[in-house]
Amino acid sequence: MLSRAVLSTVATAAPCVKNAALLGPGVLQATRIFHTGQPSQAPVPPLPEYGGKVRHGLIPEEFFQFLYPKTGVTGPYVLGTGLILYFLSKEIYVVTPETISAVSTIGLLVYVVKKYGASIGEFADKLNEQKIAQLEEAKQASMKYIQDAINLEKSQQALVQKRHYLFDVQRNNIAMALEVTYRDRLHRVYREVKNRLDYQIAVQNMMRRKEQEHMINWVEKHVVQSISAQQGGVAQRSFEVAVVTFLWHGCKFRAADVKVKILQKSSPPSLPQG
Amino acid sequence: MASVVCVFCFSVPMKEKKLMDVKIGELPKWILMRDFTPKGIAGAFQRGYYRYYNKYVNVKKGSVAGVSMVLAAYVLFNYCRSYKELKHERRRKYH
Repeated sequence: MLSRAVLSTVATAAPCVKNAALLGPGVLQATRIFHTGQPSQAPVPPLPEYGGKVRHGLIPEEFFQFLYPKTGVTGPYVLGTGLILYFLSKEIYVVTPETISAVSTIGLLVYVVKKYGASIGEFADKLNEQKIAQLEEAKQASMKYIQDAINLEKSQQALVQKRHYLFDVQRNNIAMALEVTYRDRLHRVYREVKNRLDYQIAVQNMMRRKEQEHMINWVEKHVVQSISAQQGGVAQRSFEVAVVTFLWHGCKFRAADVKVKILQKSSPPSLPQG
Repeated sequence: MASVVCVFCFSVPMKEKKLMDVKIGELPKWILMRDFTPKGIAGAFQRGYYRYYNKYVNVKKGSVAGVSMVLAAYVLFNYCRSYKELKHERRRKYH
């Protein structure tokens, strides 16, 4: 049916194609139109259930109906009887030995048909039903197979619609990886810079410590020298002054109060003013 | 060609009517109008065969009548063919 629809559309579109294809015979062959008639869309009508009615297996019912208006119900039978008697009496039908054999044969046939006709009919019907069931099964199987294929196709098409989820996940993963790399490098930069700054601080601290120690040694040496020159309370006071001077150079915060306390006790001449 | 069974249908303007619709006076004209080419005759036999076949044989629950009518017609045909020889076996000469 589908091919017929395609061919009918080709047939409607063919005239314009044919005008262009009048040049070569080979091309004209290709545009020959088939199936120009309208295909019958109706399904094939089903077989009739029973055949035409026949009376006594020999004479169709239409004959009886034909004679009914004029002669009623018994007309055809009277006609039949009259004809038989006429043929016999005028010997248009000759009674021969063959008549006997014919009568016995026909009697036997009638007996067999009357006795076994119905069962043979049922047997034939059963065979027919089996055939039809087989075909129906094949048709159903084919339809089911095609339906399954259609469903599978539809589900796969639906899957295609959902591919954007996959892409979103991939995009998110890539973004996260980029972010992680960025932060990692940021952290490294921070560590490196901090390292260098810590180094600078450590250098400064070390310099200050070295300066302190050097100054301590230097002041100690001078104090010891001055103490060895003078003895008594003066040496004690000088030592305290030295200690104060130390504290002042070492850490500048508490030195002010300590200096004030020691200056209240004594008044040394040389004291560096801060 | 000729239909034995009467089929009722409305009158067709052309002369292509069925036999039962043709009036007695028009019968010779109608017979002469029929198609007597070999193709037409073959078509007539084919049509007749398929009419009988589709009516009595090609049904779901066919009966013995489909076959028996053909056999009876065959018997009758053979009897008519051999009547010339059978005439001599009559029992009485004058009827």
